[in-house]
Amino acid sequence: MRTIAAAPAGSRTYDLNFARWVYQNVDGGDRLSLCMQCGMCSGSCPIGTAMDHGPRKLFMMIRAGMKEAVLTSDTIWNCTQCYNCVVRCPRQIPVTNILQGLATVAVREGYAPEQPTAKFAKAFWFSVKHFGRTDERLVTAFFYFSFGLVEGIKRGLANLPIALRMIKAGRMHLGAPHRAKGAADLRAIIAKAEEIEKRERAQGAQQ
Amino acid sequence: MSEPKKYTYYPGCSSQASATHLDQSLRAVAPKLGIELEEIDDWNCCGASVGHVEGGTLPQTALSGRNLAKARKQGTSDVLTACAACYLNTHGVNEKIKNDVRTRKRVNESLGAVDLNYEGDLNVRHACEVLVNDVGLEKIKGQVKNPLTGLKVAGYVGCQTVRPFAATDTGGNYDTYDQPEFLDNFVKACGAEAVEYDPKTSCCGGSVSVYSPDKTLHLIKKIVQAAVDAGADVIATPCPLCQQNVEMYQSAINKEFGTNFNIPVVFYSQLMAVAFGMDAKKDAALDQNMIKPLKLVEMARKTAG
Repeated sequence: MRTIAAAPAGSRTYDLNFARWVYQNVDGGDRLSLCMQCGMCSGSCPIGTAMDHGPRKLFMMIRAGMKEAVLTSDTIWNCTQCYNCVVRCPRQIPVTNILQGLATVAVREGYAPEQPTAKFAKAFWFSVKHFGRTDERLVTAFFYFSFGLVEGIKRGLANLPIALRMIKAGRMHLGAPHRAKGAADLRAIIAKAEEIEKRERAQGAQQ
Repeated sequence: MSEPKKYTYYPGCSSQASATHLDQSLRAVAPKLGIELEEIDDWNCCGASVGHVEGGTLPQTALSGRNLAKARKQGTSDVLTACAACYLNTHGVNEKIKNDVRTRKRVNESLGAVDLNYEGDLNVRHACEVLVNDVGLEKIKGQVKNPLTGLKVAGYVGCQTVRPFAATDTGGNYDTYDQPEFLDNFVKACGAEAVEYDPKTSCCGGSVSVYSPDKTLHLIKKIVQAAVDAGADVIATPCPLCQQNVEMYQSAINKEFGTNFNIPVVFYSQLMAVAFGMDAKKDAALDQNMIKPLKLVEMARKTAG
């Protein structure tokens, strides 16, 4: 059956302030109002076929206030960050950066608990926060087991041959994770940055 | 030889894991090209392409802020990085701190938690841009003692090495976004043959390939297939994630698509190390490629013997 995805459905949450919110709060969002819907972004996307909407349509949905549909869209998660759309956009809209900003909002507001990208990002950030550096073994293991114990073991075993080849090639070490000596300093910086963002959000909500 | 030029070097996390062979070979060839690398003291992760998702935009920005503040403490030399994602983040944040007062203020308020500060007076540059603009092809050619004659190389640039900064003033205007030539020029300078290769800047799926390869295997297949069709012996790339994805997923592609791929994927700096007559293992780190670049190893042996 043919469905018209952009048609309003009763169950969808609409927020007519959403577009303005994105313009003002998402990094690069101030240029979004210049979008003329030419489709260069979606046409340049290497993984457009794996996206439910693609950036062009997603931007129109933002303007239509389709907050929930936008923040649950897999377009923001399947972006490979190749920056084709960014360098080609005739209106110099930083498409990739806007998708990144939307991903951050989607996670913070709980729209994307099951997205693999969000799970991977959680694992990645854990490593950055605790060690100051990314440990690929730690991130991968954390990510696999975020799907549950059985799935974690399954995924781990499936990727064991690659891990063994990496170890053999000397590109996966077997000791403790590499760390920055100043990992605690970095955590203090991150905590301050989080505090600033929280403060700004609270100020924004009061306006 | 003229005085070496000093750069503050940001190796990035992959230099200690999946791309040790990029770091090792770059450090090996750098002195020959008049590049002195001084590592940023106790650098941290740049957040790559997912840090913002869980961490938030400003915390992600502050990661580069700390690295830049630490680099600035070591002097005013240009910051050099060879990793595409490190470059994207560090260069991007640096320009933002330079040009956007609000970002500068917020990053410095964050850095203030540990008494660090950075006002945006450094330049952040990609190793390839430095090779093009500061070193130059003639100097590279001048170091070649073991020309890689007969080696056919598919130059695969990938995305973030050139996009979105290669054709900007701050990015050194060193090449184009769609048909960059610098990598083929490096290949030719080493005496190898740069085969006609169309998907130079096709995307390998980046980090999406790391966690959801089911969505991106077809992208990598295109990249490998074109190299094989062009008769290449090896694929050469500047990007750590491209190197890893294009190399490690060939077996999965073979399984999925019934192909028979087994083509080595090396870094341009590994080619240079061999062409400069340096050691196959210690300098070119050829033992660290999962798919052994046999022809290149053979060429290196010839010199060593």
